[in-house]
Amino acid sequence: MKRNSLSFYLRIYFRILAQDIKSKMSYRADFIISTVGMIFTNIAGFVSFWILFRSFPSINGWGYYEMLFLYGFSLVALTPVQCLFDNNWSLRMAVYSGDFIKYCFRPINIFFYYQSEVFDIKGLGQLAFGIGTLIYSWTKIGLGFTPLILLKMIVFLVTASLFMIAMQNAAAATCFWIINSFYVLDLVTRFKDYAKYPITIFSPVFRFIFTFLMPIAFIAYYPSLVILRPGEVPLLSWLSPLIGAFFFWLSYRIWMHGALKYNGTGS
Amino acid sequence: MNLKKYVTLTKAGIIESLQFRLGTFVLAVGNILYLIVVYYLWKAIYASAGSETVNGMTFSDTLIYLVLATALFNFMEMYTVWEMGRSIQSGKIVLELLKPMKYRSYLFWTYSGQFVTNFFFTFLPTFIAVAVVTHGAVHMGLNLLFFVISVIMAISLNYSINFIVGTICVYTESIWGINIMKQVIVLLLSGATIPLAFFPEPLRTIAYYLPFQSIYNAPLSILLDAHPDPKELAATLGTQLLWCILTALISKLFWKVSLRRITVNGG
Amino acid sequence: MPAIIEIKNVTKEFRVLNRREGLKGSIKDLFSRNYKTVRAVDNISMTIEQGEIVGYLGPNGAGKSTTIKMMTGVLEPTSGEILTNGIIPYANRAKNAQEIGVVFGQRSQLWWALPLVESFRILKDIYQISDEKYDGMLELYKSLVDIEPLLHKPVRQMSLGQRTLSDILAAFLHDPKIVFLDEPTIGLDVSMKSKIRTLIQALNREKNTTVILTTHDMGDVDALCRRIVIIDKGKMLYDNDIEHLKSFFGSYRTLKIRTVGELASQAESIKKELPEFSVTADDEWISVLVDEERSKVIDVLGQLQKSHKIKDMQLEEISTEEVIKKIYEEGVV
Repeated sequence: MKRNSLSFYLRIYFRILAQDIKSKMSYRADFIISTVGMIFTNIAGFVSFWILFRSFPSINGWGYYEMLFLYGFSLVALTPVQCLFDNNWSLRMAVYSGDFIKYCFRPINIFFYYQSEVFDIKGLGQLAFGIGTLIYSWTKIGLGFTPLILLKMIVFLVTASLFMIAMQNAAAATCFWIINSFYVLDLVTRFKDYAKYPITIFSPVFRFIFTFLMPIAFIAYYPSLVILRPGEVPLLSWLSPLIGAFFFWLSYRIWMHGALKYNGTGS
Repeated sequence: MNLKKYVTLTKAGIIESLQFRLGTFVLAVGNILYLIVVYYLWKAIYASAGSETVNGMTFSDTLIYLVLATALFNFMEMYTVWEMGRSIQSGKIVLELLKPMKYRSYLFWTYSGQFVTNFFFTFLPTFIAVAVVTHGAVHMGLNLLFFVISVIMAISLNYSINFIVGTICVYTESIWGINIMKQVIVLLLSGATIPLAFFPEPLRTIAYYLPFQSIYNAPLSILLDAHPDPKELAATLGTQLLWCILTALISKLFWKVSLRRITVNGG
Repeated sequence: MPAIIEIKNVTKEFRVLNRREGLKGSIKDLFSRNYKTVRAVDNISMTIEQGEIVGYLGPNGAGKSTTIKMMTGVLEPTSGEILTNGIIPYANRAKNAQEIGVVFGQRSQLWWALPLVESFRILKDIYQISDEKYDGMLELYKSLVDIEPLLHKPVRQMSLGQRTLSDILAAFLHDPKIVFLDEPTIGLDVSMKSKIRTLIQALNREKNTTVILTTHDMGDVDALCRRIVIIDKGKMLYDNDIEHLKSFFGSYRTLKIRTVGELASQAESIKKELPEFSVTADDEWISVLVDEERSKVIDVLGQLQKSHKIKDMQLEEISTEEVIKKIYEEGVV
């Protein structure tokens, strides 16, 4: 098997991922409680959403079901970062304690190795909620189920997920340089709560900030427009796959830069 | 004199908090961001509501409420559950139990340093800013005194609840799941994210009977009420006191029982 | 044959934040920072050949781990050259990683929740070990240690000794050219230490693997190393054979005695009577280090006999431990 080939990395990825899932399954109580906790969070999210919007026919031209669609879309888009990049949360502990060094001794890509060690199963609960919400609002809006639409959905969901992944990577990577990186990671993670609102509610200044500086608008708003309002898709929406890939690549470089400079004594 | 050890712990806590230079900055940024989103969101909501007042609150009422709620949240929030959970799981708890202070008060006083810093760096500036910007929409009179009393009780109440939840970690290894459930419930039902006035009927009454609203809603409503009805004031403060004492008792009792489990099983 | 590791005039400096003290200091720190430069490794050179077992010694903070990190490619030197396996380690980290194995005494690199054999299988994939080589390695392991019960045990259920053993086996699994062992016997009981030393020796013999061993345990050094390198405060103090080192202290003798009376209290009183001598005691003997160029053993013995009844006596060369202690304290003559 050739080194650095896709099949090599895929094979190792599943091997390492499997060990985390097996290990988590063995802690049954924790597994159940965490899953319940996740369901709780999702339900509370719905309740908040419902309380907020039950009195109003629409916000900024967005109807109830369109808002719901956006909500569901964001939930699904946020699942990959939750499930596959969960190890970012432990990064700062590994870095400070010196344990991170063990990732530097293996002949495989450090970022890949590190992220493959943890899979967050409870994120799948969020996925279920997200898909459910999407389908519900989809039918209520009457978008139709053509193969083209499905294809667009998949492409733009993947695109959307890249943005949160990129932001979280970059935020986690700050632990290579600063001590209180937890706050940065925490801050960035809260962006997911802001992603479920259409950015048309913001003034132009903030629209700019949330599009280009902190790309919250790309987590759900822009990508979903392609499907929700196919008649009036802004250029940014069509460009979002490219922008997403770029941001992801950028965050990867930042992360790796920190990892390669790491010398085992904390920052 | 016993007081000295409390002062020493507080001082150490202040020094530690001050070293969070970047952390403080990031926290501030996070709060500002949250408030921006809240501002525009509610602006959009009120715009589409078609009337100035919704559920008895105007736009500026809601905004002031939420801004102060955020400031209060940052002031009072303690990562008690995490600390306790980790301490229990790693076995470090045994070392802490050996200190010549009751664990419950020891933990509280180690956080007190943070209270002092948070008060001066987040709450006070925010409060002053709000008072100035709104040209005195916040009444400055006797209500301030009652507010302070209310906040003191709220802190104690919040701590007791946190401590109870933290004690659960003695029985299960799942810190995250437990903590997230507590957080979700508290945030929603205390009126910290959505003013209780917006809750639909059955939910609102339930919320008023639970201890959570005494943490955020109670002190805030006292602060913002220019002409308080003495009976209502007494009721609010009384309810707070009741919950304060009740939760303190429960937390002490629960801890005592759980302590046995630690000492028997060896952490 | 080219050396497996070549280090030429390597220096490593770090910038460290200078934290000010007290409450006032913390407030000052909020507004301005000042840094100081620390030189962890100072102009070190050494050459290591394939198949050697080298003991790398020095007090805590001497710069050992820094040097090791540079050799493994995790750290880049501030100046100087390092070649490991003929390549520059920090510039070719992944390639270098293929040919080295690393064990940190306390930190396991294995997958915590999995049985050992599963960790091995993941490593087999990561290092792309062929089936034959893998099977061959396992056979070798079986012949050297009782590995069967260990293979199916999850690492988190293992004792410290078993975990260390497993980490060492994992480090050698892909037949690397060099294995770095950082304090491998720390915290282990005597019989486990002996097992691990035997294992390391056997693997070095079978596979001609170069072994770099950092340790504070002189037993490790005595059992495994012929050559030792001593470093302190970032500077190289000594790089040669142990025997050569002992010859520096050729005039020293260790006088070991057993006296009538309880060992510990006897040792205490002897310490008081001979304040200029290094007196130590273990379970069986009280040892007095005598520099024959300054005092004669026979005189010391005579003096001791005046106040103690000596039951038994042995005369030995200076122990490795005392040698190292002297070097830490006084430098090399």
